[in-house]
Amino acid sequence: MPLDEDKYPVESDRRRFVKGVVGGAALAGVTTASAAAVNTATAPTGAGGGTTTFYAVENTDGPAPRGMPQIPVEIDSEGYLKGAWPEYEDGADAAVTEDYKGSGVDYSSAWFQYCGVQTYSGVYPEADQDNYFRYSDSGYDWHSDKGGDKIHIDDFQELGDPWREWNTSFGTRANGKPASGTWRSQDLEPAETMPIQLIRSQNVLDLAKEDEWIDASTAEGCVAWLNKCTHFCCVPGFKSIAGSANFGAADKIYCQCHQSVYDPFSIVQKSFVALPRPEKEG
Amino acid sequence: MADNNDEEPMADGGSGTGIVAPDDETPTWRERKERTEGLSRLTYEYFERARREDQDLRQESDYVERDVLAFPAWPHEMIRNLSLTSFFVGMILFLSATLPPHIGPPANPSSTPAIILPDWYLYWSFGLLKLGPLNPELSILGGETAAEGAKLMADRTYGVVANLVVVGFVAIVPFLNKGSARRPVEQPFWAAVGVFGVVFAFTISMLSIKNLLPIGSNLLLDVTFLLPFVAGTISYALLRSMQEGYMYDLNRRYYRLRPPK
Repeated sequence: MPLDEDKYPVESDRRRFVKGVVGGAALAGVTTASAAAVNTATAPTGAGGGTTTFYAVENTDGPAPRGMPQIPVEIDSEGYLKGAWPEYEDGADAAVTEDYKGSGVDYSSAWFQYCGVQTYSGVYPEADQDNYFRYSDSGYDWHSDKGGDKIHIDDFQELGDPWREWNTSFGTRANGKPASGTWRSQDLEPAETMPIQLIRSQNVLDLAKEDEWIDASTAEGCVAWLNKCTHFCCVPGFKSIAGSANFGAADKIYCQCHQSVYDPFSIVQKSFVALPRPEKEG
Repeated sequence: MADNNDEEPMADGGSGTGIVAPDDETPTWRERKERTEGLSRLTYEYFERARREDQDLRQESDYVERDVLAFPAWPHEMIRNLSLTSFFVGMILFLSATLPPHIGPPANPSSTPAIILPDWYLYWSFGLLKLGPLNPELSILGGETAAEGAKLMADRTYGVVANLVVVGFVAIVPFLNKGSARRPVEQPFWAAVGVFGVVFAFTISMLSIKNLLPIGSNLLLDVTFLLPFVAGTISYALLRSMQEGYMYDLNRRYYRLRPPK
């Protein structure tokens, strides 16, 4: 018998019952309160998103779950390169162009809703942005003095090496020339800038002869993609880092964070669950 | 006086000056001086007072000797804790005022530096994100290559789950072995587990910077997982062979001090 037995009430049915009722009530209270707290602390779910089928530059190695989404390229009458933006109807979840240029592919703005890009102003389907590709400040040497200018198709010929001859100190010649740029992000801060890369290459011209979608989504051998690694959202580069040669990526897109590799000359169909765009305030 | 003289004669006649030779308890002159002013004086008085109160308590007629002997939470422990807290809060304020941190511009998510790494103590976790080649491919799921979804979970998920495995193992070890051994030779196996862990932490860190090391990526992955096992096995064999002689020596010294009855 414990010495301090007389300090406590005797265990009885009545006492057990009261304990049960009090315990149950306390649990229910805590659960309700925490559910209410989580509800108020988290943002509303937002619009758009869901399972989306898209076309990507293929992910060939590394931990990335899928390829990076392709941006269909158009050239305006003056020769400036644009990324096509699908048509938006009021009240729709996303901007969608069905049967893009007769290729049978539905091109949707939800392709780009991953990795935080779904919160960028430019990815909202009704966003008031022009669709021109512009050179970014950080990129390839050949366009380092063009920061912010619109990318022109003749730049690939005029600036530096002609585009079929362009090469780096590592890897083999890619029959083409890459550029780094931004898209639908003018006058936005860096945290809302959509990075893109595009390549003008003979390989793309060859691919376009065989595939309707590639034919529709490229222009004069230019293929473009949203340059956000699908793994953990870094910004990779095509033939931009010499160390990529150790991972078989000297002629591919290589992400320096976790060594994911993408092949810009292999366009594949993938699907993913696009994240919803949060409601815009004001 | 007179009575004392009768019963027990004393060398100094029992009426000395009261001066006694200093013993261990007697404060030195330096100590006496230190106690006369400022904080040392205050501390001295505080403890003297506490000692006196304790003594009075013990001399009360209803005092019962208890097993628990310590300073009470209030006020003794509380004063100590508050002074320690004030010290450290003060140090934080002082350091943050004298060394304002450099706050750089916000990170630019639209470009990634060529070399991008976490702080060195997180390399092991960063390395676990690069375990894609160990993610088993199941032919039953269909698909020719890894990129076509022949894996049970994506490499990205796999890397995150690997973190849970490592953290889970580290959390379980204290339940498997409570660590009563005071030297590795007493429990060679658990010492070897420790060596395995330390070496693995190192090799997985090396794996995380595989794009900067002049070692082939496949070789590095093999070394990452083989080296910890090799090091663990060697340390087990070494400790196990040392164990008998070492424990004999230890026991001999122990029984020399405390001979068996």
